[in-house]
Amino acid sequence: MEEYHRPCDEVGFNAEEAHNIVKECVDGVLGGEDYNQNNINQWTASIVEQSLAHLVKLGKAYKYIVTCAVVQRSAYGFHTASSCFWDTTSDGTCTVRWENRTMNCIVNVFAIAIVL
Amino acid sequence: MDRRPRMTKSSAGQATHHSPVAPKRERRPSMFEKEAYAQILRERLRESVHDVQYVEPPFDDSIADIGKEWKSALAKLKFANSYRMEPLKKFQAHSVEIKVQQMLKESLKDVKYDDKAFSHLSLDLADRVLATVKEFGYHRYKFIVKVLFIEKTGQAINIASRWIWDVAWDSWVEAKHETESYVALVLVFALYCE
Repeated sequence: MEEYHRPCDEVGFNAEEAHNIVKECVDGVLGGEDYNQNNINQWTASIVEQSLAHLVKLGKAYKYIVTCAVVQRSAYGFHTASSCFWDTTSDGTCTVRWENRTMNCIVNVFAIAIVL
Repeated sequence: MDRRPRMTKSSAGQATHHSPVAPKRERRPSMFEKEAYAQILRERLRESVHDVQYVEPPFDDSIADIGKEWKSALAKLKFANSYRMEPLKKFQAHSVEIKVQQMLKESLKDVKYDDKAFSHLSLDLADRVLATVKEFGYHRYKFIVKVLFIEKTGQAINIASRWIWDVAWDSWVEAKHETESYVALVLVFALYCE
């Protein structure tokens, strides 16, 4: 009995697409804004939620994890590393670094394939 | 799409830019409108910069081509049905949290913030935490470990994560280690591969 197998023309995670989606979300939320302690919670939450919503709209069989760090711009040191144990053929990640005059924003997207 | 209101606003600001297009009849958005929209976006984002830091899989052409052939071959492979509806051993967040917190404390005891050393240390720590979590022996689980070091210089930082996963089996763990000069944060995500 043949199972329904969705014809996929690309295999693996499309990082380019994810990058565009995330970039648009961040631009929309933080574009032209200055760092503001009152709004920062709301901004990080909306960046992450919007990115996630758009990624899901792609309709691919993936689980997504989106992490966003927004830091006020000053003289500080910041290191981040990630180590992943997954299937390298189907899973992938994309990092987008965005900055303006008053803040830095780093968004990380991890996509894990669901084997249907 | 609310292109038309933007058009009138921008044409006032750039009088010499283009001759104003009078939208007397229904028409598809003209090239001028698109440019005006782009101009507004550019102005708004004038001071902002973005780039992609790290992209996987490798974007080098030769490697990507080989990868694609292999990947497409793999896609046609269908995995045999294991008839298992749930993982053998469900991910226990609290035991992993204790272990990771302890590991973090041990490795960062008396370590002062140092620019160069920390870039190696963060990668090293991420690998070690991954190895530790793998030792727990959760089968068919995929792990993602994120390590963040933030120097304390009086700036504010806000970190948020959201995810879409299977709430029954997938979970995450957070461990924080704070010292006088820096804060270390480790996030571990565990996802069940069905």
